[in-house]
Amino acid sequence: MTRSGRTGMLAAAAAIALLVAAPFGLKPYGIYLLSLWAATTIAAIGLNLTLGYAGQISLAQASFVGIGAYTAALLTTQGWPLWSAFLLAIALCFVIGWLLGYPALRVQHHYLAFVTLSFATLVFLVLRNEEWLTKGVYGISGIPRPTVLGWSTKGPIDYYFFCLGVLALVAAATGWLIRSPWGRAFTALRENPIRASSLGVDTRRYTLMAFAIGSALGGVSGVLYAPLVQFIEPTAFALGLSLSLLLMVIVGGSGYFFGPFLGAAVSVLLPEWLRFTEGLYLILYAAFVMILMAFCPSGLLGLAERLRTPAAPTRRPGSSR
Amino acid sequence: MSAVLEVRDLTKAFGGISAVSGVSFDVHAGEILGLIGPNGSGKSTLFNCILGQLTPSSGEVRVDGRPITGMRACDLNRLGIGRTFQLLQVFPQLSVRENLILAGQEHEGSMWSRLLGRRDAGLTDAANRMIEFFRLGHLADAKAGSLSYGQQKLLDAAMAFMAGPRLVLLDEPAGGVNPTMLADLRERLREINRTRNATFVVIEHNMEFVMSLCTRILVLAEGRIIAQGDPQTVRNDPGVIEAYLGH
Repeated sequence: MTRSGRTGMLAAAAAIALLVAAPFGLKPYGIYLLSLWAATTIAAIGLNLTLGYAGQISLAQASFVGIGAYTAALLTTQGWPLWSAFLLAIALCFVIGWLLGYPALRVQHHYLAFVTLSFATLVFLVLRNEEWLTKGVYGISGIPRPTVLGWSTKGPIDYYFFCLGVLALVAAATGWLIRSPWGRAFTALRENPIRASSLGVDTRRYTLMAFAIGSALGGVSGVLYAPLVQFIEPTAFALGLSLSLLLMVIVGGSGYFFGPFLGAAVSVLLPEWLRFTEGLYLILYAAFVMILMAFCPSGLLGLAERLRTPAAPTRRPGSSR
Repeated sequence: MSAVLEVRDLTKAFGGISAVSGVSFDVHAGEILGLIGPNGSGKSTLFNCILGQLTPSSGEVRVDGRPITGMRACDLNRLGIGRTFQLLQVFPQLSVRENLILAGQEHEGSMWSRLLGRRDAGLTDAANRMIEFFRLGHLADAKAGSLSYGQQKLLDAAMAFMAGPRLVLLDEPAGGVNPTMLADLRERLREINRTRNATFVVIEHNMEFVMSLCTRILVLAEGRIIAQGDPQTVRNDPGVIEAYLGH
């Protein structure tokens, strides 16, 4: 194993130990924030797959979180178990995400951003206006937390560990995916779709897959989110959340496996830690993001990589001609 | 000799301008065909029409007698047709070995076996052999973006051969490559041509490279074939000299 690989493993082990120990020293609000971090990270991992690896921008990730959350809320308040919501939300988001991928076969970059933005607006309108299904602006309350194999997750610590468990599963599956030939094909799709195609990479199918899988993970995140907050309403899944998920992916380091974990921590936890500055905290947070983006557009992990290999050539790919 | 590639009356118009007009030729098995012509004569457009990056306005392309006009690039590649592009096209963020594995992986197994099976799709050995063959051994784990231009050019060519294609279209393989490396590249191409019976079509401006590598040469000017034959014939053709030097 390389030196950087060992450092990474050590950092991951330390982070896991910290995540397991943390809730025992925190008040319920702190535990709630950590659970929110875990659920949000899953949505960011999904977006990182679509945007960071496969290079397809999406401003609709919050819509899939919303579809997942409403699936969970509607099913569990009717007495269905949460795992059924997981299955249905994953299937639903996968199919809708696949369909949303079709425009990406024709348009890219900011054009694609607008297509996904329209879709996000559409989902928001459905959630707000179809009151017979979603109860509109009144939202859905009393969403129960699940009992898993006899283990009740009602308490904050219990539900936190449930979220952490799902996050671990998602992380393992995503880790497998991006290290498989699919991950390589996604990267090829991002870096040079025409060349990828000339090497036999079915760019159409991989683009649709990147959208479908990323969206399904948004759904998983939503299914975890609904029982966490126990009350959902449409504005939680509007453009604001999509933009913060985008910010998480970019701040953490787009296309880095651990980027979303870090990005979600910065986005969910940092504002809370900055609360002691009272009125200033949003300003400080905004300044931090601007400075980071100006000096290290590849995000926190990109910064870490740069600091670790200071002598690496900074030449841009293909500029040597 | 049977024709691996047949091009019939191929025309590609962009608005009122015909970049390629009514081009017909055959490429025979095991041949190294050179395609030369002044800038803007339609060479790359011809390649792009043959290989599915562009849809021809009219005409037909056949491989082994089977029509392939309008087929997608990725499907053509899986039929055993490889290519390189005029501008350098490697994946800078992937290592040299990963670039080569990528170039072969879509030919192994199904979409699902690629997800659930081995990370390298069983291609590490084949990639290492290709790396050795192109003398890039010391760079196997380096990111492709950190290689010199000439080395990237070699990698670019190596990627086209990774899946063991029968027909490879090379668009300016010698462009920007230094003379030592160029001789090396020529030897590699000859060896693949000989040992694997692979057929090549090569676009090139470096006349010495084309004349020494190719068995037959086709000259394109203003979208039409103006001469063809062995290197000596083409070199002495007055039409060719005029096309290059002007009236």
